[in-house]
Amino acid sequence: MRPFNKNRVFGGEPVLGIAHETDRRAFLRMAGLVGVGAGLVAGGLMTGASSAAAVQAADKGDIDILNFALTLEFLEADFYATGLKKGLINGRELELITEIADNESSHVTSVRALVKQLGGTPVNKPTIKFPADTFKDKLSFLKAASTFEEVGVTAYHGQVGLIKSGDVLGAAASIAGVESRHAAVLAALIGGNAFPAPIEKRRSKNEVATIVKPFLS
Amino acid sequence: MNHQDLIKGQATDVSPRLALGALNNRWAMAKAADFANDVEVLNFALTLEFLEAEFYRQGNKAVQLSGIEGKFLKQIQSDEESHVKTLIDTIKKLGGTPAEAPKVEFGDAFENRKNFLTTSRTFENVGVNAYLGAAGFIKDKGILQAAAGIFGVEARHAAIVGLLLGLPAKGGVFVGDVETAKSKDEVLAAVAPFLAGGAGAGGTEKVIIPAGAPDTGAGGEAKDTTGLVQATTGGVLVAGAAVALIARHRMAPRGEEDDD
Repeated sequence: MRPFNKNRVFGGEPVLGIAHETDRRAFLRMAGLVGVGAGLVAGGLMTGASSAAAVQAADKGDIDILNFALTLEFLEADFYATGLKKGLINGRELELITEIADNESSHVTSVRALVKQLGGTPVNKPTIKFPADTFKDKLSFLKAASTFEEVGVTAYHGQVGLIKSGDVLGAAASIAGVESRHAAVLAALIGGNAFPAPIEKRRSKNEVATIVKPFLS
Repeated sequence: MNHQDLIKGQATDVSPRLALGALNNRWAMAKAADFANDVEVLNFALTLEFLEAEFYRQGNKAVQLSGIEGKFLKQIQSDEESHVKTLIDTIKKLGGTPAEAPKVEFGDAFENRKNFLTTSRTFENVGVNAYLGAAGFIKDKGILQAAAGIFGVEARHAAIVGLLLGLPAKGGVFVGDVETAKSKDEVLAAVAPFLAGGAGAGGTEKVIIPAGAPDTGAGGEAKDTTGLVQATTGGVLVAGAAVALIARHRMAPRGEEDDD
């Protein structure tokens, strides 16, 4: 096998979004490509030879961005966990929402791990409070879910241009794509617009903070 | 590798380079090289968007979908057409030359609703993988935002089509907690079957998309994360382009490429 040309992939830094075990095995087949040594982090958003360099070069701004994302993921994960406990949905909708909830929970885990891997300190789970009628019935729950996902999508896309590290960009984008899927599906479930625009809209951190502030007491 | 192997997707020892060699010469970007600049990334994206836009243009005419389904697929078409326009405009603004629309061949993709939606999902997931794999090469932050913004919408498309197909939430509608990036050559290998004139000998052979894709109702293809499997089984494929599909299932050792 030829020596790894690190300029080939993702500007010299591998993009590594290891989702399932099948993807992990596929990644390992490529291990020679990315020069993976002892640095594999199980279930991590960023692994491999680049991780040591990334820790050294970790930008504080990137860590802040990831912590901003982490807060939102905590919020979403808690929202779905709470909603699922209420038993408001079943059948196909339950299957879909369960997977969404699972994704958000994974996002919390992954982003926390990535912040740590970069030498940062992950923010703690915030105290979260949802308005009383958020979970009063299925439609309220799904509408709130749809809103959270759309806000999450705009939050990630608002940060894309501000991320310094190629690795962090890849990690954030790999999550953002999934949030877009969530948003589309939830919109479909409530009879909303699954494709609100040909290009995802962006919101600034401040705009998003204002929107989610009521939920973070 | 025989005909039956191709149909069942058994053949696995194929290098993406062979597939790339089968592509029309006009695809200068089909060398497994880096994206040297933003224009190259955008032209790569533009080629995919041209492919998608034409796929939906033909598909929405050929396959009559009704109700919300028809509405979704028309919206998707409209999005892809918008993506084509955005990319062309951006490339021109950068002083670059936009890629030409490729000659396409969708074979039996429009035979019925299931083929149409299955192939649609393939395209959308490949698009997601392509944008994620290419994003890191983009230098200009404004262009990166736009590319990311398009990427998100392709993910929406993929999810909705998965939903319409009744695929499992896990692995069908959603493909895990993170999206997967694919390299340029992997992506080009994946779409090679849909580019006309991709055969080894002579440029006029047609690539036939398999008819009678396997039943993809709930429970099918749960492990697949890109949707490609559904488009690749059960059909006759011209050799050069066929290997491209098979290559997706196996990452050939990078040593076989000639880009270093």
